[in-house]
Amino acid sequence: MASATDSRYGQKESSDQNFDYMFKILIIGNSSVGKTSFLFRYADDSFTPAFVSTVGIDFKVKTIYRNDKRIKLQIWDTAGQERYRTITTAYYRGAMGFILMYDITNEESFNAVQDWSTQIKTYSWDNAQVLLVGNKCDMEDERVVSSERGRQLADHLGFEFFEASAKDNINVKQTFERLVDVICEKMSESLDTADPAVTGAKQGPQLTDQQAPPHQDCAC
Amino acid sequence: MAREVSLNSLQELEREVILQVLYRDQAVQNIEEERIRKLKTHLQHLRWKGAKSVSQEYRENSCARCHQELGLLLNRGAVCQGCSHRVCSECRVFLRKTRAWKCTVCFEDRNVKIKTGEWFFEERAKKFPTEGKHGTAGAKLLQSYQELSKISVVPPTPPPLSESQCSGSSHRLQELGQFKGFNKSVENLFLSVTTHMKKLSKSQNDMTSDKQLLATGPRQCASRTERRSQSDTAINVTTRKASAPDILKSLNQESPKRHTNPVLKQEDLSSRPTPSAVFSGGLRHASLISINSTCTEMGNFDNANVSGEIEFAIRYCFKTCSLEICIKACKNLAYGEEKKKKCNPYVKTYLLPDRSSQGKRKTGIQKNTVDPTFQETLKYEVEPAQLATRWLQVSVWHLGTLTRRVFLGEVTIPLATWDFEDSTTQCFCWYPLRAKAEKVDDSILPNNGELAVRAKLVFPAGPRKFQEALEGTDWPSPNGQLCLVVLGAKNLPVRSDGTLNSFVKGCLTLPDQHKLKLKSPVAKKQACPRWQHSFVFNGVSPSQLRQSSLELTVWDQAIFGVSDRLLGEARLGSKENVAGGRDMCSQSELQWQKVLSSPNLWTDMTLVLH
Ligand SMILES: Nc1nc2c(ncn2[C@@H]2O[C@H](COP(=O)(O)OP(=O)(O)OP(=O)(O)O)[C@@H](O)[C@H]2O)c(=O)[nH]1
Ligand SMILES: [Mg+2]
Ligand SMILES: [Zn+2]
Ligand SMILES: [Zn+2]
Repeated sequence: MASATDSRYGQKESSDQNFDYMFKILIIGNSSVGKTSFLFRYADDSFTPAFVSTVGIDFKVKTIYRNDKRIKLQIWDTAGQERYRTITTAYYRGAMGFILMYDITNEESFNAVQDWSTQIKTYSWDNAQVLLVGNKCDMEDERVVSSERGRQLADHLGFEFFEASAKDNINVKQTFERLVDVICEKMSESLDTADPAVTGAKQGPQLTDQQAPPHQDCAC
Repeated sequence: MAREVSLNSLQELEREVILQVLYRDQAVQNIEEERIRKLKTHLQHLRWKGAKSVSQEYRENSCARCHQELGLLLNRGAVCQGCSHRVCSECRVFLRKTRAWKCTVCFEDRNVKIKTGEWFFEERAKKFPTEGKHGTAGAKLLQSYQELSKISVVPPTPPPLSESQCSGSSHRLQELGQFKGFNKSVENLFLSVTTHMKKLSKSQNDMTSDKQLLATGPRQCASRTERRSQSDTAINVTTRKASAPDILKSLNQESPKRHTNPVLKQEDLSSRPTPSAVFSGGLRHASLISINSTCTEMGNFDNANVSGEIEFAIRYCFKTCSLEICIKACKNLAYGEEKKKKCNPYVKTYLLPDRSSQGKRKTGIQKNTVDPTFQETLKYEVEPAQLATRWLQVSVWHLGTLTRRVFLGEVTIPLATWDFEDSTTQCFCWYPLRAKAEKVDDSILPNNGELAVRAKLVFPAGPRKFQEALEGTDWPSPNGQLCLVVLGAKNLPVRSDGTLNSFVKGCLTLPDQHKLKLKSPVAKKQACPRWQHSFVFNGVSPSQLRQSSLELTVWDQAIFGVSDRLLGEARLGSKENVAGGRDMCSQSELQWQKVLSSPNLWTDMTLVLH
């Protein structure tokens, strides 16, 4: 009786609503700097040496636990190739934070960082949080961009800086978590006052004529 | 020549790859919208609780949030900066490191801003004031693309439990449509997409020398699909190819909307998610008002004139999966025995729909008081996923002589919209007690879950026969087929252990009362079963179907030779057989009409089980 059953019905569905909020993050940078590899390492913990240049745009979803909150990350991987620029820049507006990546073995990709940063300024909101990442730091022998230059440029642009390797899984998780944290900070800031529920801090003291609200903590 | 063909196919592949991503994104957005909707409902619930007393019996000297009386000297309350209401000290939430506070509702409001991402939209609006809130780049691209190619692109088959295809998407499209300046921005997108597509084709023509690109092109798509299939977000999609010339052509036409091709039109219909295909529809979550329930002990107790309120707090610990209901006190209860002015109250809870004795929790009995203090915590162990499908029912009873029980009132809270993470929802709250109503408004009566199905009428091809079928002219030979895929069900009344071994029976009753019966396999140990099973009813004609009725019943398989338990049923077709007045029914009725009138097209339906 299963005559009409079609392979498409076997799809897995990611309908899990069990998270507190969703952040959208965009990864940008020249082609072949390792954006896709970086995302695959983070989301799937996988790496392939083969280069498969991204077509247009892609994304992955990952839910993390941070500051007592479950945060769903929709991480957009953009194509570095110039010819996809119209599509990729359309996504800048939706992103709360950016990972701007270059390849430490590729001078040109480093020189392009300034342009990428300008793109963010043009297409994104004013408080966009950006982390500069120098990828492929496992290839020390072929390094052409020193850590120092990376750091200086980051300082100059007002970004935080990491050197990382998608291949050897160095600083990948840290980069994303740091970005999440800075977005959280921005969020609290934009709501003027810090929110105990977000920062994970306990409520301030009660200054009134009554006892504290009963049972604020989970009894377990 | 040969190269040109391969170039074209590369373009197509590229577009397909991008479209697949856009559709996956659409699915994610729909889920997000559903979540946001729940959050807002919850906030509305809080507001409602506050507003209620204001309209009922507004008293200057009571807290706007919990309605507790405020003193003249002590606990005089203070005015919230956010909403200007006077609230008691327990209904204030202090912000970190400050002496500033907000009332529980204003605090929740702020929380919702965080959780829905509203803060971001507000910030962004400072720079892009015309930007719509929810129109993501993907949604716009998708829409402009669909408009451009006049839906020669068919969206992916919705995932089995068509949640991702639910109201969200169509709603958003509507919302986008209403958004001022939308036309402008879409025009821009039209332009950017088409220029982009032009560029793509141009660059490909230009880049014949670009060996790397050519080499990686087609292979890249294939291997990318492989890579993606390992990821959790993988959704297989089917897209129909739209050739670039089509897109460019339709752009040249003044109004692409006037582009009418009967076949395309039909695709159009089937490809647009129907607004009524709401799986986790508003029905359940909207039922915020106390839901009256029938009790297992129905008829075995007396009713008092319900009055008073009950104060309790609800907490959930994700670590231990334990739900705690801290029953604090009641006030102004009715007397259990009015004449004798006697009342020995106790509190009982259930996590509906489970009304079994294992699901019952009770407090101790307080003697001779209508303002009892309990200070007792009732606990349940329940998985978070389960929790969302339950209602907490808290009822107050009087224990009389000879264990005669008298019902004093109840409160029912849907846990689907309850935010267990939020500290404000963990606070003690007063809830007015309610009576068990005789007749309950159907729309807030807990249904027995929802069944997701997909149906299609199959007839031997042939346009003329199509027409006949549509017009209801009888089919010469009844060799049509009704295909029904039973996808899955949700919110079923589960066993006390939270699971079910469920299966579906389908019974098509033809006009001559001939019955065609089919049965699905059993989905073992699933609270939200997914059968994805096809029923095929052979040898039916459209006119026959119009007078037939289809009954779908969901059963829980017997454990030890007891008979199978009926969980719920849904009926389609043949008006006489359907009891009128059911809201959801009429919606599914419409969808059923659609199935009958659009042969060879799949229609998704969500049926409410009764
Ligand atoms: N040694 C080393 N190689 C890497 C690292 N990250 C990526 N690669 C390699 O660099 C090449 C390009 O990686 P991708 O991730 O596909 O590059 P991309 O930035 O996504 O490129 P586009 O999609 O074209 O924008 C691949 O061959 C990867 O295997 C790294 O950390 N170390
Ligand atoms: Mg890539
Ligand atoms: Zn109060
Ligand atoms: Zn307020």
